[in-house]
Amino acid sequence: MHRDEKPKAAKTGLERRSLLKGLGLGAAGAAAAAAALRAAPAEAMESRQEQVKSRYRETDHVKRFYALNRL
Amino acid sequence: MARMKFLCDAERCIECNACVTACKNEHDIPWGINRRRVITLKDGVPGERSISMACMHCNDPPCAAVCPVDCFYQTADGVVLHSKDLCIGCGYCFYACPFGAPQYPQATNFGGRGKMDKCTFCTGGPEADNTMEEYQKYGTNRLAEGKLPLCAEMCSTRALMAGDGDVLADIYKERTVRRGYGSGAWGWSTAYGQNDRGDAFSPGREGTGGS
Amino acid sequence: MLVKRNAGTAATRASLARRLNGLSAGTAGLGETVDRRGFLKTSGLAAGGMAALGALPAAMIQKAEAGPTLPNVEVVTRKNVCTHCSVGCTVIAEVQNGVWTGQEPGWESPISQGAHCAKGASVRELTKGERRVKYPMKLVDGQWQRISWDQAIEEIGNKLLEIRQQSGPDATFWLGSAKFSNEGAYLFRKLAAFWGTNNVDHQARICHSTTVAGVANTWGYGAMTNSYNDIQNSKALLIIGGNPAEAHPVSLPHMLRGKEHNRAPFIVIDPRFTRTAAHATDYVRIRPGTDIPVTWGILWHIFENGWEDKEYIRQRVYGMDEVRAEVKKWDPATVERVSGVPGEQLYRVAEALAKNRPSTVIWCMGITQKTTGTANVRALSILQLALGNIGTAGGGANIYRGHCNVQGATDFGLDVSTLPSYYGLAEGAWKHFCRVWDVDYDWMKSRFSSKELMEAKGIPTTRWFDGVTYKPEEIQQPSPLKAMVVFGHGGNTVTRMPEMLKGLEQLSLLVIADPHPTTFAAFKERRNGTYILPACTQFETDGSRTCSNRSVQWGEKVVEPIFESKDDYTIIYLLARKFGFADEMFKHITVEQTRPVPEDILREINRGCLSTGYTGQSPERLKMHMKHQADFDKITMQATSGPLKGEYYGLPWPCWGHPELRHPGCAVLYDTSKHVMEGGGVFRARFGVERNGVSLLADGSYSKGSEIEDGYPEFTMAMLRKLGWDKDLTAEEMRVIQAIGGDKVDEVSWQTDLSMGIIRVAMKHGCVPHGNAKARAVAWNLPDPVPLHREPIYSPRPELVKEYPAIEDRRDYRLPQLARSLQFKIADSDIRQRFPFILTSGRLVEYEGGGEETRSNPWLAELQQSMFVEINPKDAERLGIRDGGMVWVYGPEDNSKARMRALVTERIGAGTVFMPFHFSGYWQGNSLRENYPPGTDPIVLGEPANGVTTYGYDPMTFMQETKVTLCRVEPA
Repeated sequence: MHRDEKPKAAKTGLERRSLLKGLGLGAAGAAAAAAALRAAPAEAMESRQEQVKSRYRETDHVKRFYALNRL
Repeated sequence: MARMKFLCDAERCIECNACVTACKNEHDIPWGINRRRVITLKDGVPGERSISMACMHCNDPPCAAVCPVDCFYQTADGVVLHSKDLCIGCGYCFYACPFGAPQYPQATNFGGRGKMDKCTFCTGGPEADNTMEEYQKYGTNRLAEGKLPLCAEMCSTRALMAGDGDVLADIYKERTVRRGYGSGAWGWSTAYGQNDRGDAFSPGREGTGGS
Repeated sequence: MLVKRNAGTAATRASLARRLNGLSAGTAGLGETVDRRGFLKTSGLAAGGMAALGALPAAMIQKAEAGPTLPNVEVVTRKNVCTHCSVGCTVIAEVQNGVWTGQEPGWESPISQGAHCAKGASVRELTKGERRVKYPMKLVDGQWQRISWDQAIEEIGNKLLEIRQQSGPDATFWLGSAKFSNEGAYLFRKLAAFWGTNNVDHQARICHSTTVAGVANTWGYGAMTNSYNDIQNSKALLIIGGNPAEAHPVSLPHMLRGKEHNRAPFIVIDPRFTRTAAHATDYVRIRPGTDIPVTWGILWHIFENGWEDKEYIRQRVYGMDEVRAEVKKWDPATVERVSGVPGEQLYRVAEALAKNRPSTVIWCMGITQKTTGTANVRALSILQLALGNIGTAGGGANIYRGHCNVQGATDFGLDVSTLPSYYGLAEGAWKHFCRVWDVDYDWMKSRFSSKELMEAKGIPTTRWFDGVTYKPEEIQQPSPLKAMVVFGHGGNTVTRMPEMLKGLEQLSLLVIADPHPTTFAAFKERRNGTYILPACTQFETDGSRTCSNRSVQWGEKVVEPIFESKDDYTIIYLLARKFGFADEMFKHITVEQTRPVPEDILREINRGCLSTGYTGQSPERLKMHMKHQADFDKITMQATSGPLKGEYYGLPWPCWGHPELRHPGCAVLYDTSKHVMEGGGVFRARFGVERNGVSLLADGSYSKGSEIEDGYPEFTMAMLRKLGWDKDLTAEEMRVIQAIGGDKVDEVSWQTDLSMGIIRVAMKHGCVPHGNAKARAVAWNLPDPVPLHREPIYSPRPELVKEYPAIEDRRDYRLPQLARSLQFKIADSDIRQRFPFILTSGRLVEYEGGGEETRSNPWLAELQQSMFVEINPKDAERLGIRDGGMVWVYGPEDNSKARMRALVTERIGAGTVFMPFHFSGYWQGNSLRENYPPGTDPIVLGEPANGVTTYGYDPMTFMQETKVTLCRVEPA
C-alpha cells in the first residue's frame, strides 16, 4: 500500500460509524422533538448579503500567526 | 480588500499530516472524508517534496461554474462556500475541481453521494455564523472569530500558511531570499531545465530560478 | 498578543446580538445555542459529533443531533503537554461542561509555538476514548469479565503477596512507563523499592539506554546537551540514525530555520532515504550497523586535515590520542569496504562539520538500538568533542528522546540499575534515599531477599521473558519471574516476540494498567490470571514531564479520568495500601482520599534528587513557567521580561539548589561561557581525579566567574574545609550535614547533603558542585574503552565477522548474554543465504511506540491503515512482488514469520527492507481482534515488526538490536 494512498472507509471504520449513529440517536433522540419545534432552519440562514460579507479581520491572533511564519 | 489564500511552502512541508488531523479535530470530520490531505511527489527519492492540499478557494472557481443548482458562493474574502441544503450530490464539482477538493459521504448502488463536503477555510456556510446549524453542516467558523484555519495555525513547520494572500506572498518571498535559492516551483525544471531551478541540495549557492 | 479564548467568546456574542436583532422571539432559544460545541454535552462523550457531518443526510443530522444546549456554555482553557513525543508541544484544551471540546494552537510555547504533528493535533480524541479500557477486567478461562476496582486490587494484591511469600520479591517484574509523569515515574520506582526488588524498568531500556550510558560515561550526564530551539544556532547539522520529520516533527521547524537562516549544511546519514533526508543538503546511505566505521571515517578526515579543536581537546578532553590511533585504521578505502560509503562523500561531510562551526549532531534509535549502541553513542560524542562542539550554543549532542517523558522517567530511576537521579544501587545510594523517604535503612534492606540483590542490577525489559523461561540456575536470583505488572507499555516493543509469548504464557500473574489493553492482552496463550486496570492518560491528571531538552513542563488536568479509569498515582497508592506499606511510602506525601497529590511528590523529588539538579523545579515555579510562556525567547528559551526574567523555560536540569535560590536551569550543558548561577557548567568529575598519572580534571578551563580557575573534583565537606569555604555554611546546613555524616562528616558530598548547603556554597564561589573534569574520549570502564566496530550478530557480511567480531559471551543483569559464539555460528551457517535481506525498522509519523493508543485514534488510524514492508523496486521485481501486494517476511529464529503489504520504493536501498514497528494485533497471518476485550480493539491492526526480529544486545544496557537483522521476503 502506498503510504500516500488513503483508502476510503475501512471495514472497521464503517462499523464504528454505525455504532456512533446509534449513539447519537439514542442520546439526543428525546431532545430532538423539542428542538425541532424551536429550530426552523430557514430562520437561521443568513441573507445573501450576509453570506458573502467579509469575515477576515487582522486581529492580534492573526498577526501572531503571521509573525510566527516569519521566524 | 484582503483575499484569503492557502500557501504551502514545499521546502518546509514534512508530510506530518498535522493539518489533516487538525481539520478532523476542529470540525469533527468523519472517517472517509478528507477536506485536506498531504500529497507527496517523488516519494522516497531525492527531490521528494510534499504539499498540503485542500480546496484552494479559486478566484474563478470551476466547481461553481458547473454546479447545476448554483449552490456555491464566494465571500468578499474570496472564500468559496456552498450550501448543503441546495447541493444535490451530483458530483459535477468533483469532476471540475483540479484539486480533488469535493468529498462525498456516501457511495450507493444508485449513484447517490450525499451532500458534498469540502474545506470551508474555516468559514462555515450560509447559516448564521457560529450557530449549531452551521457547525453541524460545515464545522466551525474561525474566520468569524478572528482566527484562521486551524490546519495552518497548527502546521508543524510553518509550511502551510493561510490568510491574506498579500501577506503570505511577502512571507514566502522573505523565505526565498533567506534560503538563497528559488522556490522550486512545480514544473519549472520540466519547462526550463534543471539549471534554472535553483538547487535545494546546495543552499548557500546563488539561486537563479524561481525567486 | 495572543487572543485568549474569552475574546473569541466576545466575538461570538456580538454575532448573536446582531442575529437576534432581526429574529423573532421564537428563535431565541435557538439563538442561545451560539456555542459551537455545546451540543456535544447532550451526547455525553461527544461521540455524536463524529457522525454529524457527512455520514447522515443533513435533515437527519438536525433531528439526531440538535438537542438543547446550554446558552453560552462556559469555556475553560487548560494547558497541558502533548503525550506523544519528547518535544513537549503545548496543548491548549478548551473544556465545556467537563468535556474536552476544542483545541487551539499554543502559540506562547517557546518550544512548539503552536505547532503540532498529526498526533498532537488529534490528542483530543484520547479523552473521548471510544476504544479505551472502560473498567477493570480479569481473564477467566479465556473470557474477559468486568470486575470492580476493589475486587481487582484485592485479588491482584493477594496474588502478588502470595508470589512474594513463595518466590521472593524478585519474582515480580515491575514494568513502568515513559508515559508516566515525573511524579508517577518516581512513585513507581519507590513502589518497587518498597516491594523489595530492582526488577523495575521502562521504555528507556529500548530507546536511549545506550545513549544515557554512552554520554554519561563521556561527560557526566545522560541527556541531550542543548535543545531543539538551540539548533537554530547551528551552522551545520548532522542527523544520523534518526528520522525526526516523522518521529519528532515539531523539532523540524527549529532545524529547518537553522538550515535556512544559517544556510547550514543539513546532512542525513541513514540506510533509508527518510522524510528528513528529503530536506537534506547531503544524504549518505550506509549499510545498517556501520555507524562506527562511518563516524571514524568522518573523524579520519578531520584528523587528517587538522580540523580538530586542539586547544579544546587539551583543556577539556581525556584520551583523544587513543582514539586517534583507532581512527587511523579507518581510511576512506576501509570505510567504503565496510560501510559502502564512498570516501569523498565523507570528506564532504567532515568538511561541512568542521568549517561550519558550531555544528550539531542529532541521533536517535538508529544509533542506540544496536548491539554496539553504547559504542555508537560514544563515537559520535567523541566526534563532537574533537570539533569542540560540546558546551556551546549551536553545537551539542542533540539526542532526541522518544516518549513524552522518557527523559523524566529515566531521571527518576525506572531502571534496573539505579535509584532515582542516577544514584545507582550501592549502599550509599540506598541510605540516601532512605533519608529522603524517612524510612529506616535496615527495614528497607529487610524488604529484599538479600543485601546483595538489593545492590544488584535487575532483569531489564528487553529480556524479561528470558527471566521467566530460562532454567532457574541460569538466572541469578532466587526464582524466575512469576508475575509481571505493566503500566503504560506495549507488548510488541521487544524483539524475539515468539520467545516473549512463551514467557507470557508461563507467568502466573499479568497485570496491565493502561488506557488500552495493549498487545499483552491480545494473545490467547493466556486464559487466566490476567488483569486489566483502566489507567487514564496524562490529560486526565496533573503532573510534570521532562522534554528531551531537560525542560520540565507542568501539565494541567484537562478533564476528569473518563469511564472508571484512575490516574497512575491512585493505582500505585491502592497497590501500596494493599501491600501494607502505604503509610511508610506516603509518609511525606499528602493523599487525598486515595490520590497522592502530585505537587507533594514533586516536592519530595526536589528534596532528594540533588545529583541531576532536580531540586529547583518546585511545582510553584513550574506552574509559573507555564503561565508566563510568552515571556521566553524563542531561540535561547530565556525569559526576557516578566517575573521570570533570566530563567530558562522549564528550568532545564540541572537546576541547582533550593527553589528559593532561583537558579535559572541550564539551557546548554557544560557551557563555560556562563556563570554557574546563570546556567553555566563544566564536564562532571565523575570518574576520579587522575588515571595512570594523568589528571582527569579540566586543564585551565572553568565556567565564568569560578574562583577556582582550573579543574576541580566534586564538592564534599572535606573539600569545603580544605578551601575554607565551610564557614559559609549556615548553622542549620551544618546541623543537617552532621546528622547525615555522623562521624564521617567529611564524606558528605553535594549529592547527599540534603540541606543543599554544599551546593549553595560551591555556587557562591562560582563553582559547579559536581566538579570540573575532562570529558573522556577513553572510558576505561566500558567493554570497549575506545569504540570499536563490531559486526551485528546477524551480520549480512559474514566475511567481516572474524575481522570485526562481537564481544565475548558474558553474563550481566542476572542473565547470560550470547554474543560472539552466536555471531560466529550464524556466520558459519547458511543463514545469510536463506535470509538474504537486511531488516531494519523505524517510526511513522501517525503512530507512536507499540501503537495501541494511536491506532485506536480514528483520526490517525485513517491515515495509516496497514502494516507494510518497504522493499526496493529491484528486489521486488526479482521476487515478483507487487506494490501493495501481500508478502510474507520470514525471520531466522523460531520459524518466525509475518504477513503484510509490500511498499515498493526506492526509499530503501536494494538488499534492505524496512518495517515500521507500531503494529500489532495480527500474528503470523491471523487476526487477534477477537481476543481483545470487547470494544477495546484498536481500529487498525497489523503484524508486529518484532515478530521477526532476533537476538542481540548491547553489553552495557542490554539494549535490543532492532535495526539490523536478516530476513527473507516472499510474495504471499
